[in-house]
Amino acid sequence: MTPSEPLLHLRDLRVDVGDRNILKSVSLDVPAGALLVLMGANGSGKSTLGLTLAGQPRYRVVGGSARFAGQDLLALSPEARARAGLFVSFQAPPEIPGVKNNLFIRTALNAVREAGGEAPLDAFDFLGDARAAATRLGLPEAMLARPVNDGFSGGERKRNELLQLALLRPRLAVLDEVDSGMDVDGVRAVVQLVQELRAQGTAFLVVSHYQQLIESLAPDAVLRLDQGCIAETGGVGLASDIGRTGFARAAETLDS
Amino acid sequence: MDSARADILAARHQLQTRGWIPRQAEAFRHLPPPDAAVWLGEQTGQAATGCDAHPLAGAGWTLHPIGHSPQGRVDARWLDASDALQRAELWAGIPAPTGAGHADDGAEGDAAPFAWAHRALCRQGLRLRIGGTPGAERGPRETVWLQLRHQPRSAVEAPMLVIEVLAGVHCVLVETHDRQSVACQQPVVQNLQAHIVLGDGATLQHLRIAMPGAADRVAHHLHARLGRDAHYAQALVASGSRYHLQRNVIALQAQGAVARSAGLLLVADSALEHQVRLSHGAARTTSTIEDIALASGTARAVVNAHTRIAPGAAQADVRQRLIGIPTGGQPKLVLRPHLEIHHDQVQATHSATWGALSEEALFYARQRGLDERTARGLIVQGMAGALLQRCFADEPLLETLDIDALLRAAVARHLAPCLEADHE
Repeated sequence: MTPSEPLLHLRDLRVDVGDRNILKSVSLDVPAGALLVLMGANGSGKSTLGLTLAGQPRYRVVGGSARFAGQDLLALSPEARARAGLFVSFQAPPEIPGVKNNLFIRTALNAVREAGGEAPLDAFDFLGDARAAATRLGLPEAMLARPVNDGFSGGERKRNELLQLALLRPRLAVLDEVDSGMDVDGVRAVVQLVQELRAQGTAFLVVSHYQQLIESLAPDAVLRLDQGCIAETGGVGLASDIGRTGFARAAETLDS
Repeated sequence: MDSARADILAARHQLQTRGWIPRQAEAFRHLPPPDAAVWLGEQTGQAATGCDAHPLAGAGWTLHPIGHSPQGRVDARWLDASDALQRAELWAGIPAPTGAGHADDGAEGDAAPFAWAHRALCRQGLRLRIGGTPGAERGPRETVWLQLRHQPRSAVEAPMLVIEVLAGVHCVLVETHDRQSVACQQPVVQNLQAHIVLGDGATLQHLRIAMPGAADRVAHHLHARLGRDAHYAQALVASGSRYHLQRNVIALQAQGAVARSAGLLLVADSALEHQVRLSHGAARTTSTIEDIALASGTARAVVNAHTRIAPGAAQADVRQRLIGIPTGGQPKLVLRPHLEIHHDQVQATHSATWGALSEEALFYARQRGLDERTARGLIVQGMAGALLQRCFADEPLLETLDIDALLRAAVARHLAPCLEADHE
């Protein structure tokens, strides 16, 4: 990656799911350490973009390009993307019965560390870090010993995503409505974690409808996705406008 | 002629008269067993190629301590079945095999020829009487921990095991059948019969691990009879071979008896059938049968669950849950849940599910950085661990037995050929 090249560079990205074309043409840049907010009406393609970047095989890229940290992202397996520093939070994280949360996260963390030439963490060191992070995020410590997301509430699942984010410390995190299902304390924990990680150099692409969260995050840019295309780019003011007038009105204004 | 010899000849005569299991026998039609000649060592060339492993090299039944837990009072008798007196002691209280009827009256059903073949060939057996520490009744109940290991001592054999757990005693038993570190590496034919009797209020948590060699032909028949309020939990971890049958016949004959059977079947390019026949013969009895069968390549895996609720078994509670997961290739996976209910006031559910591993969970794990092999292994290991946890409902027990390590190794062994084939 050259110094001038953004961390994530998408050009004319087109994606089909089944026989439907969801992303028609998405072009955007996320510089290293930046924070972008992606807004859009339901069905505009926000989650499709996140899962496509993650390498979900059901999402078929039919055109365009995606480069991440100087590499052709689309040529990488999902795990290679994660090891290169891409983290995508899930709107509805699945449960993995019988696999203890701490084992799952430690195995993932060590896979990423080893790919980066770092020594794996032993169970003792990992548990110390994991407990501290769980406490900061308001996730009961007992959740570490339970199977991944098994019996977790919606808010606990989201906090568990944040726990993994905190421990993995990726170069770019795509957070897909990570605030939904969260209580006030949870949203505060999201803001705090994002600020901490940004200070360490992590870039963010945050999908959210929550005005207060967006303002708290102080994004570098706000993008509006409409029918599979980036329709508008602006600052926090754009999020406020959308909050006031709604997505349909915003689209009409742009058309006129 | 002594009575042992007479018994052997009588068993052979029974086998000859009644004939071997027909290929279309209901319980065996999906994986018909090899003929009687195989189990009797009469197949051409088979009997002549005896195994050279010396009995003192650890072959046969051996008992080992587990950890530093207190060893309760265990009476172990290794018996020579060719000696008339010892043979009588070995079979004391064990009903003669009959072909008709159901498990709750001691009948073998379709499997009776296996029992006759066993009587004809059996040369040694082990009889365990587990009684706990004298005086323990007054204090907290002591657990008797045992590891029982069996390694083949001849190329064709019919080992015998009888376990009696006395009333009120709690026992943890780990029974292993493996071919690792055995001097004898040639194919083995093994027709094993095990009989377990639990006294009133006794508890047996029984982990069975059966990992035969690829060319082995193995049939294990386990019969359990439970007294009033007795609890029997068996978790089986088994891999396939040329022919591998694990057959459990469990009779809940007294009120309040509880049986849980869990099977983790790992079958890659081989054959394995798990049959569980449970009979509820008394009121307030509870049973669960839960199996997960993972099959790959050209494997043939069969799970046959049959639960019978007899007339009068009021408030019986029965569950069967069978899951089949192909992990690569084109395996044949047969899941057969059966319920036979002869009483109205009961609860009974059964299900059979075929399907691949959750693609969503697999993708989630990969998105967090796990490669596909590790992700698959972790997910399967998790399912297996949860299965054993439900069976024993005893987290400390699983930790003491280091079940995670056992499952990790077994699952990795099973998945290795599948993933290699996928990447070719």
